[in-house]
Amino acid sequence: MILEQAPILIVVIPLMSAIVTPLLGWWKRDLCYPWVILSLLFSTLCSVIVLNTVMHDGVIHYYLGGWLPPWGIEYVVDHLNAMMLVLVSGSSLLVAVYSRKSLETELPDRIVYFYTLFLLQVTGFLGIVITGDLFNLFVFLEIAALSGYALIATGEDGAPLASFRYLILGTVGACFYLLGVGYLYMITGSLNMADLAEILPGLYDSKVVLVAFSFFMVGIALKMALFPLHMWLPDAYTKAPSVASALIAPLMTKIAVYVMIRIMFTVFRPYFSIELLPVTKIMLYAGIMAIFVGAVMALAQKDFKRMLCYVVIAEVGYMVGGVGIANAVAIKGAILHIMNDVVMTLGLFAVAGILTYKMKNHEIVAFKHIFKKMPFTMAAFLVVALSVIGVPPTCGFFSKWYLIQGSVMAGNWTFVVALLFSSLVNIVLFFRIIETGYYDFDPAGSEHTHEENIVVNEAPLSMLIPTFVVAVAIILIGLYNQSILINIIQFAVPKL
Amino acid sequence: MDFIIAKYNYWIYIILMMIGFYAMIAKNNLIKKIIGMNIFQTAIILFFVSIAYKKGDATLPILTYADAHGAHAIRAAQYMNPLPHVLMLTAIVVSIATLGVALAIAIMMYKKYHTLEEDEILKAIK
Amino acid sequence: MKTVGLIVSMIVGAFLIYGTMDMPDWGDPNSPASLHVSPRYIMNTETETATPNIVTAVLADYRGYDTLGETVVIFTAGMACVLLLRRRNKFKKNRG
Repeated sequence: MILEQAPILIVVIPLMSAIVTPLLGWWKRDLCYPWVILSLLFSTLCSVIVLNTVMHDGVIHYYLGGWLPPWGIEYVVDHLNAMMLVLVSGSSLLVAVYSRKSLETELPDRIVYFYTLFLLQVTGFLGIVITGDLFNLFVFLEIAALSGYALIATGEDGAPLASFRYLILGTVGACFYLLGVGYLYMITGSLNMADLAEILPGLYDSKVVLVAFSFFMVGIALKMALFPLHMWLPDAYTKAPSVASALIAPLMTKIAVYVMIRIMFTVFRPYFSIELLPVTKIMLYAGIMAIFVGAVMALAQKDFKRMLCYVVIAEVGYMVGGVGIANAVAIKGAILHIMNDVVMTLGLFAVAGILTYKMKNHEIVAFKHIFKKMPFTMAAFLVVALSVIGVPPTCGFFSKWYLIQGSVMAGNWTFVVALLFSSLVNIVLFFRIIETGYYDFDPAGSEHTHEENIVVNEAPLSMLIPTFVVAVAIILIGLYNQSILINIIQFAVPKL
Repeated sequence: MDFIIAKYNYWIYIILMMIGFYAMIAKNNLIKKIIGMNIFQTAIILFFVSIAYKKGDATLPILTYADAHGAHAIRAAQYMNPLPHVLMLTAIVVSIATLGVALAIAIMMYKKYHTLEEDEILKAIK
Repeated sequence: MKTVGLIVSMIVGAFLIYGTMDMPDWGDPNSPASLHVSPRYIMNTETETATPNIVTAVLADYRGYDTLGETVVIFTAGMACVLLLRRRNKFKKNRG
C-alpha cells in the first residue's frame, strides 16, 4: 500500500519537513540537524524502493490526484530517473550528515533557516528529476534555483554579488525554458512529456518547434554552466558556504544534464535531435571547448575551491560531449559519468569543506602539512583525485573509457584528445595539492624543527564519515560498474 | 501586412522581452537589472495569455448559469483556453518570488558596500 | 557590455520573430492549443469538479500539484529573505 505511494513520498517528505523545520527550530534549535537527516533518510529509502521496483517491474507511472496524463500531472520513473533519484537523495543525505560542524563555524546564527532552505533545495532537485510534465519541471526548477541563490548568498565576502549574477543568469535560463514550454504548448496543446513525444513527430519541420528546442537547449545550458555560459559558476560555488557548495555543485549541473537528455531523447525523438538538426555537433564542440577551457583555467587558479569549480566545468564538457557524439556507447558513458561525477564532485567539495573548516581558508598555499595533520581526510582525497584523473579501480576510469570508446567508434579524435588532455591536467592539478601538502618548502626554517611541531589534527567524525562513504562509493561503483551498466544504465540509453 | 496583423500580439511580446533582456545584460545598476528581469518575465506572461485568446464568441473561462446546469451542451469555442491562465498564475508567483530574493540580495549588498553599482561593488570586494 | 547586450538581444529577438512565422494566428479558435487538452477542461469541469470557474478547477484540481509547488516557491522566497536579511543579535553573542 505505502509502496505504491513511494514516488510521491520521495518529494513530499523533504517538502513537508522543510515546512516543519523553522517551527522545530524556534522550539529547540538542536533538533533541526537530526530532523533533516531523518527526513532525507526516509526520502533516500523511498528512492531505493522505487529504483528496486523499476528494476523488477519496469517504468512506474504515478498520477497525481488520479487525473490521467495529458490532463493532470504524472510522475514517470524509468531507469534513468530512478538512478538520478537515488543519487540526489543519497548524496544530499551525506551532505546533511556532514553539515553540522561546518555550519556551526560558518553560520552559527542562521542554522535553522539554512536547514529549511537546504531541504527545499533537495525537494527542488528531486521534483525536477521525477516529473513527467514540462511545466511541473519548471516549478521545481524555480524552487531549486531560489533556494540555491539564497544558500550561496550567505557565503563569504563577495558571495552576494556572485549569487546575484547567478540569479540573473539563472532566471534567464529558467525563462528560456518556460518560453520553450510555451512554444511547444502553442503548437501541440499539451504539456505532458509522453504526450508531446506522440504529437511532435508530425511537426518536426515547423519553425516553432525549432525555436522551442533551441530555447530549451540554451536555457538548460545556462543552468548547467556549459562553456560559453559558465561565467556565473566559479564565483558562486567558490564563495558559497562549504555545505552549500557541497550540496549544489555536485547536483545542479548534473540535473541540468539529465533534463537535457530527457528533452533530447524523451520529448523529442533521437531522430530529431541527432539527424534533423546539427545539435549534437554543436554540443560536441561546446563540450570539447568546455573541457579545454575548464582544464586550462583550473591550472591557473590559486584557490582550491575555485580550481574545483573549473574541474566541474570540464566535467560538464565530458557529459555534453558524450551525448553530442550520439552513439549508444558514448551516451552510456555519459550517463555513467553523471553518476560518477555526482559522487566525485561531492567528494572533492567535501574535502574542500573539511580543509576550509580546519584551515579557515581555501587557498592552496595554506595547505601545508595537511597530509600529516589530517591523514584520513587526505586518504579519502587521494581516492577521489585518482578517480577524477581516471585510474582503473575507481569509477572515473570506466565512464572515461566508454566515452573514449564511443568517440573512437564515431571517428572523432578531437574528443579523445580533449579527454586525455583533461586527465593529464588533472594529474598536474592534484599533484600540486600533494606537493604543497606533503613536502615542506618553508624557506625560513629548517624542516626538522617544523616536523616536530605538527600534531595530527583530524576533522570531526561527522565530517569524516560522509567523506569516507564517498571514497568507498567511488571504489564500489568502479568495481561493480558492469552490473550497474547491465541492470540500470543499459535501459536508460535511448534507442537510437 | 496580413502576416503582421495576424500575429501582432506575439511581436509586441518579443519587443517587450528584448527590452528586459537588454536591461539585464547591459545595465550596471543592480536595481535596473532587477527591473529588466521583471519586464522579461512579464513579457513571457503576456505571451502565454495571448495563446489562450480565442476570437469569435469566446468569453472568460467561467461557466454561465445555463451551461453549468446542463441546459445545453458546452462547446469548447465558447470559452477561452483556461490552461495558460493557470500556468501563468503559477509563473506570476514564481516571478514575484524571484523578485523578492533578488531584492533581498541587493539589500544585503547595499548594507555592506553602500552602493548598488556593480563595478563599484566589484572594486570594494577586491 | 552595452553593445554585447544589444547584439545578443537583437539576435534572440530576430530568432523569436523567425519562430512566429509558423505560429497559428493570434486568437485562432482552431489552433492546436485550443483543440487538444483544454476542451476537456471546458466541457467536463462541471461534471467532474462541480466548479463553474474553469481556471479554479484546473488550478486546484486537475493541476493542483503545480499549485502546491507554487506555494512552496513563495515559502522558499520568504525563508530566503529571512535567511539573508535577519539581523544578527550582537549583544547575545557577546554575553555568550
